[in-house]
Parts: sequence; C-alpha cells; structure tokens
Amino acid sequence: MINFLKKLIYFFYREYKLYLSGFHSVLTMITFFFVAIFTFIFSIGPKDEILSLLGVGIMWTLFLLSSTLSLRKYYQEDFENGNLVLLHLRGFSYELICILKTISHFIFVQIPFLIFLPIACILLSISIDKVYYIIISFFLGSIILSCLGSISSSMNLLNNRNYLIGSVIVIVFSIPVIIFSVGLIGQYDNFNSLINILFGILLITFAINPWASGACLKLAIENN
Amino acid sequence: MKFLVNPNRFNSLTDLILKPLMLLSISLMVIGLIFAFFLSPDDYQQGSTVRIMYIHVPSAWLALMTYFIMSLYSIAALAFRIPFGFIVNTAVAPIGAIFTLICIITGSLWGKPMWGTWWVWDARLTSVAILFIIYLIIILINFSFENRLVREKIVAIFVLVGSVNLPIIKFSVDWWNTLHQTASISKLSSPNIDTAMLTPLIIMTLAFIFIGILIAILRIKTEIYIRKQST
Repeated sequence: MINFLKKLIYFFYREYKLYLSGFHSVLTMITFFFVAIFTFIFSIGPKDEILSLLGVGIMWTLFLLSSTLSLRKYYQEDFENGNLVLLHLRGFSYELICILKTISHFIFVQIPFLIFLPIACILLSISIDKVYYIIISFFLGSIILSCLGSISSSMNLLNNRNYLIGSVIVIVFSIPVIIFSVGLIGQYDNFNSLINILFGILLITFAINPWASGACLKLAIENN
Repeated sequence: MKFLVNPNRFNSLTDLILKPLMLLSISLMVIGLIFAFFLSPDDYQQGSTVRIMYIHVPSAWLALMTYFIMSLYSIAALAFRIPFGFIVNTAVAPIGAIFTLICIITGSLWGKPMWGTWWVWDARLTSVAILFIIYLIIILINFSFENRLVREKIVAIFVLVGSVNLPIIKFSVDWWNTLHQTASISKLSSPNIDTAMLTPLIIMTLAFIFIGILIAILRIKTEIYIRKQST
C-alpha cells in the first residue's frame, strides 16, 4: 500500500514537473480563449444585452475548443519518448495510467482555466450572481472534458495522417455536456435536477474513460 | 450460424443467396412503392405527405439497426477476438450513414409542410443528427490510420463508446417533450396505426431491410476480397 502511494506521489510529482516546464502551452490555450472571446465580441457588437444573453454559450463553446488544443499533449509526448511503457513496466496498469493522467490533466490544465473564468465573465458582462453557477457547471464540465480528451487522444496515438479527428470526437461527445451545463446557468428552480444529470454524465464518462482509453493505449503500445 | 462469423462460410453462403435476395428486395420495393403511392389512403390531417413516412420510418429503423449490429460485432470482435466483426464494421458504416441521411432528408421534407420548418432543435432530431456525425467519424477513422490492425480496433472501440447515443435516440421522444411524435408501433401495445397504412409500412420496411442486407453483403464480400489480396 505504501509502495503504491509512493508510486502515486512520484507520478504526480513527475506530471507537475512536466506541466510546469510546459506551462507556456497552458498559457497559450488561455490566451486563445481570451482572443477568441475578443473576436466574438467584435463580431457581434459590444452591446451589453446581447453579450449577457449569449455570454455563457460563447464561453462554453470557446472553452471546449481551447481544451481540444491540448489533446496532443495528453499522451503523445509520453508515448513517443517511451515513458508510458516505463510506467507500465513499473506496475501501473493501463487503466490506472489513464485515470491518473485524467486527474493530472484536470489539475494542471483545467484548473488554471477555471481561475481565469471570472475575468471572462466580466468581459462578457455576465451578472455577478450567475458566476457561482458558472463556476460549478464549468468545474463539472471540465472533468468530463478531461475524460473525453483522454479517450480521443489515446485513440489517435498512432494516427499520423489525420489528427484533427481527435478534436471532432471530443466535440461530438461533449454535446450533451454543453446542453445541460448551459441550461443549468439560466434556471435557478431546476438547478438540482440539472446538476444531477450533469453529475450522472460525469460518472458515466469517468467509468467509460479508463476502459476505452486503456484499451487504446494497450493497442498503441503493442503495435508501435 | 457459423456464416455470421466465418468469412469463408459467409462467402459460400452469400454466393447462393445473392441473386434471390436481389430479386426479392427489388420486387418488395416495387410492391411497397405501389402500395405507398396508390393503394394507401391519404391521412385526414397530413394529406398526401403521409406517404413520406413509408420511407422515413424504415430508414430511421435501419439506421439504428445498423449501428446496433455494428456495436454487437464490435463486442464480438474485441471480446471474443472474431476478426469478421472488424470487416463488418468497416463495410457497414457507410450504409448506416446513408440511411441516416435519407431519414434526415425525408424528415425535413415532411417537416416543411407539416411543422412549417425544415429543422427544429428538438431531442429526437438532434440525436439523429449526432448519429449521422458519429457515422461520418467512423468512416473518417477508417481513412486515418496507416496500420490496418490498429485502425479497425480503434473503430470498434469508438463504435462501442458511441453506442451511448442509441438509447438516447430511442427514448428521446419519451423522456423529453419533443415536437417529433412518439413511436406509433411498439411490441408492448397494439400498433397505433391503421392497417391500410401499416401494410405498406411493413412491406417497405422489409424491402429496406433486404436492400440493406444486400448492399452489406456486397460490401463485406469486397472487404474480404481486399483483405485477402493484401495479406
């Protein structure tokens, strides 16, 4: 047990080092997010009523798009320099690697995003009482996006021809997430039922994720 | 039932039944179209547009059925190591995509005079559109990888993950309050539709099923042939 915990600590320490050295890519994603919000505001005009009406939807869409930018970083580097094989030889099963990778992706990529969200809310002139709901829905939704990203990026490890398909896969499967989490923000009476549905989606994806991406990782490592 | 999993048996059996199946499907299609256009009555509300249903409903059923078969074969291929499942997955995906496209197009042709709009974002329509996109992604994955062994397993995994969508499509009309009507025909209750309209619907469904099986057989045979050439 202690051995296992040591391994976990080692794993997260390594991930922390990796993401810290590559933090500029996370910053690039956040910059993309804000620049895209700017272009949206310029294209639909800076009227407060329209912005506060469309704001949540715009934020969710851009959040999704910018989280697909980081897909390539998910497993690809570790796969190419052989660290995944080493981790597996050290006693991590493929499924465990997927769960840990998902958690570390959530902590080191999505959490910085969540910190910057209130600024985006100010830019889109969303009223301050909505921010609480926005944070909750983005918190749950970003975990789901991490799981989906794990699935699609592990599917495309050996894909040299058409890597864009990974982003399409994430976007397709995140449609229910977007529907329920944007619906959650407008409605205060239905809040409990909608958040239950979102939580259900989270549990389903969290259950499917290690199985599907573990199988894909195994496939990629065996056929490399 | 070995022909369902063994390529050689599949080939020898389908060589026998290909021509009868072709005749059967063509004749059923002709009879069904005659029934649908001339022998079935107009609806008292929808008028003549109800005849679109005789194409719309079978193609929707077949779109779901194709995906269901694909997911069954994916389970068989991944869990029981039956490579024939990969062949079926590769061969059948475009057929499902075409049926979904027929379903969407006929549905919007019907929707313009009846609902007054080509498209609404209700749950049934959206989930079928997602099904179409999933079919497209499956086809695209088939073009993406260089290594065939990897590609077909990835497709199978993707099919299984995407099968989450199937119950959503089926029950969307019951779970949400949609503009699309609920199912008129189900096993548990007597059909909610008159016999004069049920007959062409059933004939057209059979015709669509046989045509689907026919194209699937041709595509699977081609796929088997390609794989035999490449190995």
